[in-house]
Amino acid sequence: MRRSFWIHVWRDFKRNRLAFAGFIIVAFLFSVAILAPLIANSRPYIYAGNGKVYFPIFFNYDELKDADLRLDKYDGFKVFPPVRYTYSEYDLDYIVSGPSSKHLLGTDEQGRDLAARMLYGTRISILVGFIAVFIYVTIGIIIGSIAGFYGGIIDLIISRFIEIIMCFPTFFLILTVLALIGPSLVNVMVVIGLTGWTGIARIVRGEFLKLREYDFVVASRASGAKDSRIIIRHILPNALAPVFVSATFGIASTILIESSLSFLGFGVQPPTPSWGDILSQSREFMDFAWWLTLIPGLAIFLTITSYNLVGEGLQDALDPKSVKKRN
Amino acid sequence: MKKYIVKRILLIFPTIIGITLITYLMVRLAPGDYTSLKAGMEGELKAGSVGREILEEERKLYGLDKPILTGYADWLFKFVKLDFGTSRKDGRPVAERIKDALPVTLTLNIITILIVYIISIPLGIYSAVKKDSLFDRGSSLALFILYSLPSFWIGLLLLLYFSGGENLNIFPLGGLMSEWETEPGFFAKILDIAWHLVLPVITLTYGSFAFLARYSRANLLEVINQQYITTARAKGLSEMKVIFVHAFRNSLIPLITLMASLLPGLLGGSVIVERIFSIPGIGLLAFEAILSRDIPVIMAIGSISAILTLIGILLSDLTYAIADPRIRLESKI
Repeated sequence: MRRSFWIHVWRDFKRNRLAFAGFIIVAFLFSVAILAPLIANSRPYIYAGNGKVYFPIFFNYDELKDADLRLDKYDGFKVFPPVRYTYSEYDLDYIVSGPSSKHLLGTDEQGRDLAARMLYGTRISILVGFIAVFIYVTIGIIIGSIAGFYGGIIDLIISRFIEIIMCFPTFFLILTVLALIGPSLVNVMVVIGLTGWTGIARIVRGEFLKLREYDFVVASRASGAKDSRIIIRHILPNALAPVFVSATFGIASTILIESSLSFLGFGVQPPTPSWGDILSQSREFMDFAWWLTLIPGLAIFLTITSYNLVGEGLQDALDPKSVKKRN
Repeated sequence: MKKYIVKRILLIFPTIIGITLITYLMVRLAPGDYTSLKAGMEGELKAGSVGREILEEERKLYGLDKPILTGYADWLFKFVKLDFGTSRKDGRPVAERIKDALPVTLTLNIITILIVYIISIPLGIYSAVKKDSLFDRGSSLALFILYSLPSFWIGLLLLLYFSGGENLNIFPLGGLMSEWETEPGFFAKILDIAWHLVLPVITLTYGSFAFLARYSRANLLEVINQQYITTARAKGLSEMKVIFVHAFRNSLIPLITLMASLLPGLLGGSVIVERIFSIPGIGLLAFEAILSRDIPVIMAIGSISAILTLIGILLSDLTYAIADPRIRLESKI
């Protein structure tokens, strides 16, 4: 696709305030995911003591190996991250305690800092969202373009197959396969990726069926281009716009699926923090530990909303007939 | 038309073969499944909770000792006769357990679909008529937010705030009906079940409003742009008449098809909702079966819910064909 096309899309996208807000939140979540170890860590950025300056968060020092620099006995100049705990640290004096100056968002039933766990949970949601969607978009594009390009009996067989897969309730299918092969981060991504491609395949197939009749395709065929070249260089780039939109919505629903799986205990396994798992653990203390229920739920909701808003905005920006654009 | 219907009905059979084949292969080919299945069984055997005859019966049921195709054929043959084997958990026939659970989930889903349609379609129409008004924008944003709220979270919050604990104690904590000392009257029983279903139904419905309301709005807007609507306006009909007699009826047709596409999502969603509210339906049965690796139950539920969805799609396609004169007449020629 031409560069100027994407400049136009970006310009239209930015005009949509809600979509742009969603984009900002997504960008923020990305930074949080990448910087999580710098935001929540038990070691300080800088520690100046014993007449030496250390950067414990970035480097390992032999003399500070087992030292907990948060303790008062290490006096000197210290600069700590906003959250002074890692996600797997047990603070046994603070079990299921509410937000305080020590634990900004409170702690869970093992005394682990909720803020640190939420920050690291961002990583899981982004990782699963993007990798699973990447897997299924790739499968969907391959299967959809083969069906749409060749048509005939190949298309018939593939379309039948897609119909069969679509009959299964996806969530049930994912749960079953995970139960059979065992839940883990990688398995969650792979299983969502392997079951989610039908929608993309249908979209790509439809686009290919339409585009293969266009003059530019006929022309490149007449000039002797190979099938693979026509598919990859000529048709696919023109079929991608609806795929992007669908993939963005797909990330939102994948994050929802991942958190639902973790909620049911079939997702990422502890101690890796996942928002759905935190929410699931909160059930036992629901009537008083509101922070354990409210915060992960809000985070999931905000993330899903943002991706959906971006998807909406992308849909409008990519659609030449969009009404919103003309106004 | 007749040809179309016959063709669609005949096509259902290869699809059912595909559905059952995938279910069978999924269980049979899952990495490590057969061995871990066996290991699990042997562990249970030692514990004495499962008899050797059940193990033998299960082996026979899946034809694990036979090649894949004959094994599948045997399983399918039993499946057609509604013999799904016995549940590993309590030794009851799987068919019986499904017979108990299916009506619960279907009731829950039918109520949900009805409520979704009753609320979203008028909302969509009103938004389309008052296009770009404050109401249109406000309702679409509100529905969008509802759509993005994770149902398991809302389910938890509803339980927290409306079912005892420190807060309001209006609705029961879960289950399908109360424990009675004496058998209550028919209406008292219905009322009690309805009382138990309020929170689960809310949890299942709110997320689907956005989709359907938006869809009916877009459909109506599309129909309003058609020339026959301009004609209707030009001949001086009132706006009410134009919308409801000419436009609305035609915008309804695509909504029929949606009913089928809602079904698999709702069946999947039942797993979460039935688990949170402990409702003894297919979703909870499926979840418990998955937890205890009760393979006969998993296989039966997987294929049955896929076949139900298939029938849903078939029915809605047929209604669509009958309702839309363009399709009806075109295929007659």
